Amino acid sequence: MTADLSFWAIQALNALQLSMLLFLLSVGLTVIFGLMHFVNLAHGSLYALGAFVGVTAAGLAGSYWAAFVAAPLVVMLVGILLYLTLIRRLRSAGPMNQVLVTFGLIFVFLDVFSIGWGDIALGLAEPELFSGRTEIFGIVYPTYRLFVIGVGLAVLGILAVIVSRTQVGAVIRAGVDNDAMAACVGINVERVFFWAFCVGCALAGLAGVVAAPVLSVTTDMGTAILIPTLIVVVIGGLGSLKGAIVGSLMIGFVQTFGAVLAPELAAILIYALLAGVLILRPAGLFPARG
Amino acid sequence: MLEAQDLRKSFGALTVTNRVSLEVARGERRVVLGPNGAGKTTLFNLLVGELPADSGQIKIAGEDVTALSMDARARRGMARSYQKNNLFSGLTVRENLSLSAACAQGKAKTVAMDSLRDAGVAETVREMASLVGLTELLETSADSISYGARRRLEVGLALASRPRVLLMDEPTSGIGPGGIHAFHALLRGLPAELTIVIVEHDMDLAFDIADRVTVMNFGEVVFDGPPQAARESALVKDIYLGTWAEQP
Amino acid sequence: MFYQTPLKTAAILLLLTAALVYSLVAGFFGLEVLTEVAILVIVAIALDLVAGYGGMISLCHGALFGVGAYAFASATVLLGWDASIGLALAILTACLFAWVIGAITARTHGIFFIMATLAFGQMGYAYVFESRTFGGDDGLPGVPRLDLSGLGIDLNDSFNFALLCVALATVAYLLAAALLRSGFGRTLVGIRSNELRMRALGLPVWRHKAAAFAISGALAGLAGALAAQHTMFVSPGLLHWTLSGELLIMVILGGLGTLVGAVVGAGLLVFLKHEVARFTEHWHLVVGLVLIAVVLGGGRGLYGQAEHLWERRQAARKAATAAKETPEHA
Repeated sequence: MTADLSFWAIQALNALQLSMLLFLLSVGLTVIFGLMHFVNLAHGSLYALGAFVGVTAAGLAGSYWAAFVAAPLVVMLVGILLYLTLIRRLRSAGPMNQVLVTFGLIFVFLDVFSIGWGDIALGLAEPELFSGRTEIFGIVYPTYRLFVIGVGLAVLGILAVIVSRTQVGAVIRAGVDNDAMAACVGINVERVFFWAFCVGCALAGLAGVVAAPVLSVTTDMGTAILIPTLIVVVIGGLGSLKGAIVGSLMIGFVQTFGAVLAPELAAILIYALLAGVLILRPAGLFPARG
Repeated sequence: MLEAQDLRKSFGALTVTNRVSLEVARGERRVVLGPNGAGKTTLFNLLVGELPADSGQIKIAGEDVTALSMDARARRGMARSYQKNNLFSGLTVRENLSLSAACAQGKAKTVAMDSLRDAGVAETVREMASLVGLTELLETSADSISYGARRRLEVGLALASRPRVLLMDEPTSGIGPGGIHAFHALLRGLPAELTIVIVEHDMDLAFDIADRVTVMNFGEVVFDGPPQAARESALVKDIYLGTWAEQP
Repeated sequence: MFYQTPLKTAAILLLLTAALVYSLVAGFFGLEVLTEVAILVIVAIALDLVAGYGGMISLCHGALFGVGAYAFASATVLLGWDASIGLALAILTACLFAWVIGAITARTHGIFFIMATLAFGQMGYAYVFESRTFGGDDGLPGVPRLDLSGLGIDLNDSFNFALLCVALATVAYLLAAALLRSGFGRTLVGIRSNELRMRALGLPVWRHKAAAFAISGALAGLAGALAAQHTMFVSPGLLHWTLSGELLIMVILGGLGTLVGAVVGAGLLVFLKHEVARFTEHWHLVVGLVLIAVVLGGGRGLYGQAEHLWERRQAARKAATAAKETPEHA
């Protein structure tokens, strides 16, 4: 019986770890979505970029921590480049053009990865500090995976404080609510969007480098995670931090436990969940407006 | 022809129309007046089916349509024009009018023939274009004609479905004095059997063409009678105060 | 509104002639490519019908294509039915799926519509991928081709099969053009232009959208059945959302909402893939950059741009003759 219990506890931790990765990705996407009404399908590619940059940085510096710092920074710089060249011009271009251009970017990134890093799956060694296993609540669990959960929770906590307690957060909330209104009360909306976009990109890069030791680093890892991330964002409600949290947990747990309990159905479940939400609550579970 | 009984609509704690009743006879020209915020637009939206009423009843030619959607009401002969032009952008004036005529003549869903080339549709389009003065502009895109012409096309779209009841939401909004005069002439030239309900704040229109006037204030009907009686009513004067007093 | 202009007719005849001439001179590989293009032309036309003329940017047409392919493969391989019944079943199944998706998503717009269609498409992909009945990840091999030996035609010959696909692509264009020139098609364009107004005129809009989606799905199903016969094999990859994305790219590259553009785009994308692949394996990069350039450059696409220029010249010419006919007042 205890063995059973620990099995479920491990599954729960696995689900939590997946949820945290999804959260790191979806929170950036949802804020960009909510603030700028911009659909960035290339967000998954930025995540993959984070993983690849991490592999290179760790190789050069010989330490995981170099990767941990370099990946978010480099991805953010690439994000800024994209913002200045493409995204700013597409702001008012309508969802179809945004979908198309960022879909084009996915293609570009795919080949950039394959040219730069090759088509073979790469690995990133976990940091020594968090290697091995830890006993927690009587369960033995890989320490690094606990670290992944920790990073997710830390980012969640910091963002929650920023959004609810600081002026920057007030500006972001005002911007999601009504950008014309925010502009009227003297907020430089454009600058807020820009920084929100930067932070979103950095978090995607962070997610990539954090995920790299758990998953293997492949050129298509970005496309694979994109769909669950988009589902989180739409289920949670565009632009909603709370929605990103709840959505990530829902998808993380449904996917993990679905795979254990009903393997044939698991893959369909998250799509069915999305379809259901879109039909019953088209604005998501926690719409940012109103 | 058009009947509303005890219509009520609230948004949260705010009741915007309260026990509004209205009875418009066939061929009647009715103008609904009232200051801003009187609930005119809400009443309009309840009548056309854009908003569901909280309670009350709406009938077209004796048939209860309260539970019917906007498109189902349109199929029973109710047409509307919009306060802000709501045309088929990117399409020509002819295509605009054809869509409306085809819909009303049951040719909008057929795969057997081209509604743009149908004789019945073309006939209606020709007639309506001449009625609203757009014959010269038939092949021009609705995006590139003047504001006044678009305003007329807006009415033409509603008329091309040959409705039994025509509801118009502030049809003269945004057109200058000359245009308004021409517009009144257009309204007077419409078939006598057409029932028309116009929601307006413009007094002149009411006295120029209305058979009967309904005045709303704070979501309720405060006056219902011939235009002349409205002009003499002290209550209506109170509601319209300044603007009313200036009328000759 | 759709008009079968002289330019469209000329372009289609030119493309058809090019395809026929190519089929005579091409070797085995060339015929395979031609078949691939013809099949994709059918789905691209199906997509342009709803996306270009109905304003429904669907990201599930790859899945509808795949549903057609799987329906055909299941009927012939798993049930052992005749290929002609399989073909009918493929068209019907994809049509039915499309109707359901169209009906459910009819009230969503913009990005929500895109996401909803994406979700339904991926649901199909995930189901087939996991399903043991349909061979899961491995797919279903051994799909037979239609038997036209009664007419003295052997479809296992690549030349004959390529011609059949080109013929069906032509039929698909003619069907789509006929639909767009009917009352149904005119109304569909009306919905794209102003859905609310169409409703106010008395049209039950959701039913119209669902019907359009179903017709589009039927065409996608036909193409899927052809694809299954072409490769004689089906795999879950046929339903993946990236295929839906590629279909959208084709329609954009050629020119959204022009119908001929869908044909041009399908050819263009396959050509780009194969030509780029001759020099480098990184065709994704080239296609991605071309797509970005096309969208940023106004988004009219190759044929769309040509048609735009042609229409402008026509209008200028008409204005000039009109000015000549009416005497000057000055």
